[in-house]
Amino acid sequence: LNEPEITTNRHVDEMTLLLYVERQLDRELAQEVSLHTQTCTKCLNLLRALDRESRLLTRAMFEEDEPLPARLAEFRGVVRRSMQWMWGVVFGLAVLGVYALYTEYIEPWERQLDQAGFGSTNLLSLLVFQGAFWKGWQSMFTLFEFVALAALAGFGLFAFRKYLKRGSALAVMFASLGLAVAMAAPASATETRSGDTVDVGKDEIIKTDLFFSGHHLRLEGTVDGDVYAFGQQVDVPGHITGDLICFAQSARISGRVDGNIRSFTNNITVSGTVGRNVTAFNEVFNLDPNGTIGHGLTVFTQTVTLDGKVGRDFLAFFQQATLSGKIDGSMRAKGDSLTISSGAEIDGKAQFEGPKPASVSTNAKLAFPLEYKLVEHRSRMNRGAGYYIWRVIWTAAYVLFGIVLFSLMPKFSREAVELGEHYGASFGLGVLVLFGVPIAAFIACITIIGLFIVLSTLLLWLVVLWTSEIIVGTIVGQWLLGRSHEFWPMALRMAVGFAVVRIITSIPFIGGWAAFVAVLWGMGAISLALYRRLQPVIAPNIPPVPMGPIGTPLPPNTTVGGLQSA
Amino acid sequence: MSAPGKTEPTELIVRARTGDADAWGDLYREYAPAIFRFCRRAMPTREDAEDATMEIFMKLRDKIGQYDQGRSFTAWLYKVAANHCWDLLRRRKVRQGKETEDVTEVPLETPDPNQLERLIEERTSEEVRKALDKLGPRARMALVMRYYSDMSYDEIADALGVRRAFVGVVLLRARHELRQALGENTVLAAGGTR
Repeated sequence: LNEPEITTNRHVDEMTLLLYVERQLDRELAQEVSLHTQTCTKCLNLLRALDRESRLLTRAMFEEDEPLPARLAEFRGVVRRSMQWMWGVVFGLAVLGVYALYTEYIEPWERQLDQAGFGSTNLLSLLVFQGAFWKGWQSMFTLFEFVALAALAGFGLFAFRKYLKRGSALAVMFASLGLAVAMAAPASATETRSGDTVDVGKDEIIKTDLFFSGHHLRLEGTVDGDVYAFGQQVDVPGHITGDLICFAQSARISGRVDGNIRSFTNNITVSGTVGRNVTAFNEVFNLDPNGTIGHGLTVFTQTVTLDGKVGRDFLAFFQQATLSGKIDGSMRAKGDSLTISSGAEIDGKAQFEGPKPASVSTNAKLAFPLEYKLVEHRSRMNRGAGYYIWRVIWTAAYVLFGIVLFSLMPKFSREAVELGEHYGASFGLGVLVLFGVPIAAFIACITIIGLFIVLSTLLLWLVVLWTSEIIVGTIVGQWLLGRSHEFWPMALRMAVGFAVVRIITSIPFIGGWAAFVAVLWGMGAISLALYRRLQPVIAPNIPPVPMGPIGTPLPPNTTVGGLQSA
Repeated sequence: MSAPGKTEPTELIVRARTGDADAWGDLYREYAPAIFRFCRRAMPTREDAEDATMEIFMKLRDKIGQYDQGRSFTAWLYKVAANHCWDLLRRRKVRQGKETEDVTEVPLETPDPNQLERLIEERTSEEVRKALDKLGPRARMALVMRYYSDMSYDEIADALGVRRAFVGVVLLRARHELRQALGENTVLAAGGTR
């Protein structure tokens, strides 16, 4: 109050009267207001009205118009204790699910990779740390450590982003990544050659890795390192001391590769010598009579002809295969047609899976009798009982997974379900996430931005993929049974809806497409919820609110108010 | 909820602090209706209020060790509830891009006392509750903290993240908003004759 005293021809403003009613004025000012209202009827009436308004507000708020909802009758912690048996069931079914996953998918792959000469050690360590792809990985350890730390720092900044100014956080993130990428340069000393026709002359020796791109590539000299070849036609009559990574329409290896060959070509012919393993994804693969592979051969191809020698195991998936060469290890083959000719020799076990038995020449030398397993091309209309039993088990496991998810992240799950009903946005984002994330991860892998980030992203992507049908199931359940925000009714809707989705996705022919749509939809909904969650929260910044009679901000712990002309 | 003047269940609180689940259950039953009502008044929908109530008690169970027994348990409870509800409202407001919706620069006109009296006289509690639902989050929250939880200006300032000196301003603006929502704004505005 700026006025020294209250006179009868001035009124107290509403703010001061409110603070008086609220007992927020200091003693001296309160006395002034009190004195004024003894002689000013208008101010006294407003004072009384404000007081009555306060009491009306309190009464309105305290009146119990709604009883405590049933779901709040007991604390959920108590409910949780009573539902502990459910966790036992959940755990049991989860174990069953993991077992099914392992026996159905992981174990067969492990066996096949073992057969292919990758040994019993894990594939990642073999590929990355034993230099199967690139020996330069050894020198990348420090970089990986750094990238991992930078990624962790990035995640830390991300987690505490609301305490940081957005610009500075982004600056630190990009600086970290920039440094990481900059550090990658000296570790990857590579010579690059490109053009329509690219040659490495007969007498030429390249003492580093070679990045080779062009229409026609011919390597007659020696490369003391790895070779990355991208071209329409690749000929290697020369010598590579490291690995050959080859993307081409046609490749011919007539020289010598001391390391591994990894090829992604239309057709490839090996007539030279390969010191270690060959992995080939081709339409046609030929190992000529003069061709020798020191370790294992793994092919995923339409037609494979093996006339040369394989030092260890042979693993093949094909449509048609002809063997007349020598395999020092074992053979595991799966395809439509296999012919083992008279000159063939297999020193280890030989297994073949196909729709008809292999044609084996009597002159072929097999250390063990060929094990044959009939593979029937079963019609999708004629699925066995096992398929449906596993389908039911998986459905139950998914439902329980969904219950766990809803229990651990109730709000997020609800948000994802609600956002799933924004169909356009969900599908659009679903397409982007389903295809965009793996592509981005692949690019990030190539450019070595950070294996840690890539693996984390892919893991999250897989989790979202697996969870997508649960979200879609809940939406479908809500369509069928109506909406609910309570836990168990929502879980019931999820279970019913998910069962419906699984039934639809089991229908032959259209089921696959239905599953695809469900995945897109669910992934989009979850991604949308994630996106919303990751929006930064900005602390409210309240500007001074000008009051009629009070133009300046109010100092704390003091009184306000003033006199106005009547 | 303990009625005004009723002593707080000190023994239950002490037992709950030591991890006694039964004591916690009793405390929950004692205070849940009041906290639910608080949330019902502060949050826009019943579902939000239910969720917020459950979350507040989960938070309370984790934080009960931090409760200073020298102070009022009820006041502490409301402080936690107010902070939680305001946090939820604020996040939602930010997400919806309405962060400044209830911060207006329009000066307030002093109402005519007689018309204000008449308005208060004519309106029922139920009408007031319905009008409360129409207010902006900050106004509603401020009124609930003050007239339901009886929180001090300092506590309200702390919860809303404003200076203490602005609490009166926020409350007065909230009352004006409420009067408008009660449908008498034109009369009251016209009656501002001072």
